[in-house]
Amino acid sequence: MRHFLVMTAFAVAAAVVFGVVAKDSPRDRLYYGLKVFVEFLVIGLVLGWVLYFLPF
Amino acid sequence: MANVDNERADDVAPAKAWLMGVAGWVFPGLGHLLQGKVGRALLLGGAVWGCFIAGLWMGGHLFFISGGDQSSSVLLQVPPMIANLGAGLLYIAAWVLGIGFADDPVHAARATYEYGNTFLLIAGLLNYLCMLDAFDISAGRKS
Repeated sequence: MRHFLVMTAFAVAAAVVFGVVAKDSPRDRLYYGLKVFVEFLVIGLVLGWVLYFLPF
Repeated sequence: MANVDNERADDVAPAKAWLMGVAGWVFPGLGHLLQGKVGRALLLGGAVWGCFIAGLWMGGHLFFISGGDQSSSVLLQVPPMIANLGAGLLYIAAWVLGIGFADDPVHAARATYEYGNTFLLIAGLLNYLCMLDAFDISAGRKS
């Protein structure tokens, strides 16, 4: 659980900066930030499971 | 021809833009704050500060090139040090206070050691983005 919380904290920080820096309007920033946040979490979980099944 | 010269003149960033960029690097969030972008300063500065403090709290290690190490492995310290340096004053303050630079095995054995390293690296890299954003806003390339 702690690993997931740390990953979530990382995703929040990165998503905030990416969202604010990359887009111009507040609405676009919010959507892009949410998109980046979800992508970080989903890709992190998928990679975690893929690596779990690797024998090396 | 005159139009081309005007465009070139517009491309040159004013000294203020460089100042904002440096301010953003030295103190995360300050580059935006000085331009009146309080909300953006709080969000960006908060993210960088949060990452850095969380990294130290988790026992992360800050990288630097030590003069005593003459082997080629010292080159491996350069990229993470550049990333860490992005945190500006936070990195310098940690260096002055001797926080996060210890190289002891007990520290490295903590379960959150690698997480801490990552957070410290990301804090610096995110601040480079914030710094460039402050520069672009001041240069009139962004709103």
